[in-house]
Amino acid sequence: MARNWWIRLVFFKILLAVSVISLVPSLTGMDPKKWIIEKKINLGLDLQGGLYMVLGIDFNKVYRDELITSVRKADPFLRQEGAMSASFGELDVKDPADPKQTLIIEGDYATAIDKLKAYYGYSLRIVKEEGQSVTFGLSRDYLREMEATAVERSIEVIRNRIDEFGVTEPEIMSQGQDRIVVQLPGVKDITRAKDLIGRTAKLEFRFVNSTVPQAQLEEWVAKATAAGVKYEKGQRFSEYTDKLNAYLKDDLPKGFLLFFQKETSKVTNEITLMQPYLLEEISPLGGDALQEAVVRIDQQQNRPYVGIDFKADGARVFEDITGKNVGRLMAIVLDGNVFSAPQINEKIAGGSAQITLGAGDYNSLLGEARDLALVLRAGALPVELEFQEQRVVGPSLGADAIQKAEVAGLIGALLVFVFTIFYYKVAGLIACITIISNVILGMTCLMALGATLTLPGIAGIALTIGMAVDGNIIIYERIKEELAKGVVAKEAVAIGFNKAFWTILDANLTTALAGLCLLNFGTGPVRGFAVTLLIGIASTVYTSYFVTKLMFDWYVRNNRQTVSI
Amino acid sequence: MSKAKMNIDYVSLFKICIISSLVMVGIFLAVFFQKGLNYGVDFRGGAEIQVRFTDTLDTSALRQALEAAQVPISSLQAIGDDNREVLLKVQSDKEDLNKASASVGTVLAQQYGEGKFEILKNDIVGPKAGAQLRTSGFQAMAWAMLAIMIYLALRFDYKYAPGAILATFHDVIFIVGVFVLTQKEFSLQIVAALLAVIGYSVNDTVVIYDRVRELENELPGTEMKTIINRAINETMSRTILTTATTFMVSMVMWLMGGGVIQDFFFALCIGCISGTYSTIFIASPVTIMIDRMNRKKEEVSVHSTKSAVRG
Repeated sequence: MARNWWIRLVFFKILLAVSVISLVPSLTGMDPKKWIIEKKINLGLDLQGGLYMVLGIDFNKVYRDELITSVRKADPFLRQEGAMSASFGELDVKDPADPKQTLIIEGDYATAIDKLKAYYGYSLRIVKEEGQSVTFGLSRDYLREMEATAVERSIEVIRNRIDEFGVTEPEIMSQGQDRIVVQLPGVKDITRAKDLIGRTAKLEFRFVNSTVPQAQLEEWVAKATAAGVKYEKGQRFSEYTDKLNAYLKDDLPKGFLLFFQKETSKVTNEITLMQPYLLEEISPLGGDALQEAVVRIDQQQNRPYVGIDFKADGARVFEDITGKNVGRLMAIVLDGNVFSAPQINEKIAGGSAQITLGAGDYNSLLGEARDLALVLRAGALPVELEFQEQRVVGPSLGADAIQKAEVAGLIGALLVFVFTIFYYKVAGLIACITIISNVILGMTCLMALGATLTLPGIAGIALTIGMAVDGNIIIYERIKEELAKGVVAKEAVAIGFNKAFWTILDANLTTALAGLCLLNFGTGPVRGFAVTLLIGIASTVYTSYFVTKLMFDWYVRNNRQTVSI
Repeated sequence: MSKAKMNIDYVSLFKICIISSLVMVGIFLAVFFQKGLNYGVDFRGGAEIQVRFTDTLDTSALRQALEAAQVPISSLQAIGDDNREVLLKVQSDKEDLNKASASVGTVLAQQYGEGKFEILKNDIVGPKAGAQLRTSGFQAMAWAMLAIMIYLALRFDYKYAPGAILATFHDVIFIVGVFVLTQKEFSLQIVAALLAVIGYSVNDTVVIYDRVRELENELPGTEMKTIINRAINETMSRTILTTATTFMVSMVMWLMGGGVIQDFFFALCIGCISGTYSTIFIASPVTIMIDRMNRKKEEVSVHSTKSAVRG
C-alpha cells in the first residue's frame, strides 16, 4: 500500500482509539475521576433533571422609574439652593422607550435651569422649554449605558446568589438584549431558587483592619487550604467562609473576620480573583440606613463620583462612626462579598457623603461609579426581573427518556445495518463500520467541545445514523454506474469517490446551514439538537468520504477485478 | 439487484403532481382556518405538569379534587398504558401560573400524601416568552431558507434556487398541515424537526441538481426536460435507499422513542416522504420552468440584435 494510505490509517486509528477511551466514563457511568481522561458528556437539564428559567427585563419600566426618581429630586434640591421650587407636570410615555417628564419651576427660571443642569450632569437631557416649564428625558448615553450594564450586572448578581445555592454547573447567560437564561442542573426546589434569585441582597458597611499586612492574610488562607479548608466548586461560598473563620479562630485578631472580594469568570464559571480582607465582626451600619446613591460628576475636575445620602437616623450613626474612624477603610459588603473599600477622609455630618474613585479615564470611572451606585442603591438587582419561563424536570423523567431513546436508537441502527449489508454486501459492511465510527467520533466531539447532550440531541444522533449512510450510498451508486459502463474495479472506485465528493459536501453543507439557524434560534433542548446535528454533519463528511475511501483503497488493492457492491 | 436502467418519464407526471399538491395545500388551509394549529405550551404560554403516581389513578377523582380547590386546570390527560401518569395543563391568561402550578402540588400532597407521587415535569411559559419563542422559531426557518437559497445560487446557478426553496416550503406546509389535520401538539421540538427536514429535503434536491449540472456540461444544448428526467432516473436508486434508511430510523424512533422524541420523529417520517416527493415533483418542474423562461429571453435578445444589425 502507498505510504500516504498508511498515514491516513494511523491517523484514523489514533483518532478512534482516543475517542473510545475518552467515552468510557460517559457510556459506563463510571466516575470520570477514576479514568485516564477525566471527562464526561454533559447531560442537559431534560436528561438529568433540574431547573431552567428565562428572566426578562422590562426596560420601558426601568426607564420610567429611573426618570421619575431623578426628576423627583429637583424640588428638594432647588429649595435648598434658594427661593425656588419645582412641581411635577405631565409624564409623556408616547414613546415608552423614551419617557419624558415635565417640571414646572417657580422662582427665577434661568438660575434654576443652570443649577439643575449642573446637578443632573450627563444623566438627563432637556427635551423642551416653555415658559416656566421644562421637560426632561434620560440622555441617550445614559439610556444606552443602562441597557448595556443592566443585563450584565444582573447576571453577576444572580451568579453571586446561585453560588449560595450550591449548584455544581450553573449556567447563567444573556439571550437577546433583555433576557437572561438560568440553568440549574439537579435543582428541584423551584420556590427556593426563585426566592434566592429574586430576593434583595444584604448590604453592610464594615471597617477594615489595616494593621495586618495583606501577605499575612494570604498566608492564613493558604494555611487553611493546606489543612483541607478550601472552597470547592458547588459549595456554598458562605459555608466556606464560615468554616475558614472557624478554623482560623485562634490566628485572627479578636473581633475580626475574613471576607473576600471575589470575581467569577463569565465564561468558565471559575473564580478568577479571591482577595481576602480582614473586617470587623460587627457591622456598625447596614444598607437599610441608606436613602439614595447616585452617580454625580465633579464639575471642576470632570470626574465621576458616587454621592450617597443617609436617612435621618442613619446620618447620625454615620457622622458618629466617621468621626471616630478618620483615615480607616470602610468596606462595602454585598451578600457577604466585599465590593469596594473606600477610605474615610473626614468626619461626615449632614448625612451626605461622596465616594471618590481611584485613577482611571473618564469612561472607566463612570462605569465603576455606576456599578458602585447600583450596589449601594438597594444592593439588589439593578433592574426588576420578570420570570417569563420556567421548567422543572424531575430526575426520573430523564432517565426513562434516555433508556427508551437508546433502545429505539439501537434497533433503528441495527435495521439500517441489516439493510445496508443485505443491499451492498462487502461495501455495506464497510458502510456500517463507517457509521459506527461516525457516531463514536461525533460523541467524542460533543464531549470535547463541552456541549450538552439533550433529548432532542439524542434524536439528532439517531437522525445522523439514518442520514450518514447517504454519503456511502452516493459513492456506491456512482461506483455501480461506472462498473455498469464496463470500467475496471479499481478505476470505478476512484471515479466514484471523485464524482461523489462535491455532492456529499454540497448536500451536507446545506443541512449545516439549517442547523446553524437552529443553533441561533434556541437555548436548552432544541439547541442541543442543533449541536448534535452540526457535529454529526462534520463527522459524517469525514467518515463517509475519507474513512470509506480508506477502507476501499485497501479493498481494491492489487488491482482486484470485482467489487462486492 | 437489477442492473437494468430505470427510465420513467417523471417530467410528464409534473402537472398531476402540482395540481394534487395545490389541492392538498387547499385542504390544509381550510382545516387550519377552521381548527387552527394546536400550539403546545411553548408557544401558547401556560403551565404543564406531568405527574407519576405510585398506585394506579382514578383521573376523575383527581379532577374533582383539583376543581374543589379551584385550580384552573384546562385539561387532564392520562398518559402511558399503566394508568399511573397524568399530564395536567393550566391555561389561563389572567391567573398566576406560578400560583396555579404550586397549588397543584398542594392538592396532590393533600389528596395522595407525600411520596405517593412524583412531579416529573413542570413547565411554566409566560405569554411573553411564548410569543418570543413563536417569532424566533419562524425567523429561524426563514433564515434557513434564505441561507440555503443564497448557497444554491452561488454554488450552482440562480435558476436552481427557487425550485429548492419551493420544495422545502412544500415540506414545511405539508408537515404543519398534518399537524393541523391530526391536531397533534405543535411544540418547540417540532420546529426543530421542521428545520431538520428543510436540511434533509435540500440535501435530496442538491444531489439531483448536482447530476443535472454534470449532465448539462456533458450534453450541451440538450433540453432541460430531458436532462432532468435523466438526472432523476440516474439518482433514483440513491434517493430510494437514503429515504429508506432515514425513514427506518425515524419510524423506529417514532414508535418506540417515547415522550418528546415521538412527535419529533413523527414529523420527520412525514418529512422524509414529503422531502423526496417535493424534490422530484416540485423542485424539478420549477427549474424546468425557469430554464424555459431564460431561454425565451435569450432568444428574444438574440433576435433583437440580429434585427438591429439588419436595420
